[in-house]
Amino acid sequence: MSRTTSQYRNGVKVSENHGAGEWKAERLSALILVPLTIWGLWAAATLSGSGYDGATEWFRSPVNAILLAVTLVATLWHMQMGVKVIVEDYIHKAGTLRLLLGLNTLICLLLALASVFFIVRLALGSAPLPAGLGA
Amino acid sequence: MSNAKDPSAVTTGHVMQPNGRPRPMSPHLQVWRWHVTMLASILTRVTGSALYVGAILVVVWIAALASGAEAYATFVSLAGSPLGLLVWFGFTVSLLYHFAAGVRHLIWDAGAALTPKSADALSWGSIAFGVVASLAFWAYLFAAGRVSL
Repeated sequence: MSRTTSQYRNGVKVSENHGAGEWKAERLSALILVPLTIWGLWAAATLSGSGYDGATEWFRSPVNAILLAVTLVATLWHMQMGVKVIVEDYIHKAGTLRLLLGLNTLICLLLALASVFFIVRLALGSAPLPAGLGA
Repeated sequence: MSNAKDPSAVTTGHVMQPNGRPRPMSPHLQVWRWHVTMLASILTRVTGSALYVGAILVVVWIAALASGAEAYATFVSLAGSPLGLLVWFGFTVSLLYHFAAGVRHLIWDAGAALTPKSADALSWGSIAFGVVASLAFWAYLFAAGRVSL
């Protein structure tokens, strides 16, 4: 637990803070998104103008459903980190900073959960929502 | 002039030095000569922020599809309207520029292309890619009859 002796790896001091981890996570998510974005554009071109039947048919393919879920989760992860940096750069009031960072994480988390929920339903061919919720 | 109780120390973002003076801050935008790496950096943030809205629109699209044919028809009539297509076009430009600018950063992170000349070239290249690839993508969509005005 002692912080007096610094750790070294390959002659480089190992960071005692969390910045390096955030830096790596930003790059890792970006690397993952390079092929997924190209696939996403191709998927968008396929899906545009395909109508309700064409789109629901597309989601019944497990490959499409899984790739779209991974793309969206990776995108929302990358987005949460990116906006966190922007907020940290421009907001200096401690209370506002905490509020905006919390809101950003909450929005990204909710979007990720919602998209996985909808994608799973579409992949399984579940009845259209809001099943049993009136209307 | 300053001590820990000075409220301006909190509201202006100035960090106080042990000698009681505010730590000097780096000069702001208006004193810099514009150069392309600066423009490309700002555009990366702007397009990234725009893509926040874009991501929400994609989730709305999936939600509409999961809500049945009627809800999806409403979504498509809005998304396929001239204004809707303009929003999607902006989304495409933002995505393709941010994509190219991101790859540019990965190249730099690998330690390559860090001379001013190659950094400028990569930045101009990202901007050109964002515009040209978007126009090509939408030219294809229209030519293939996938979207129409």
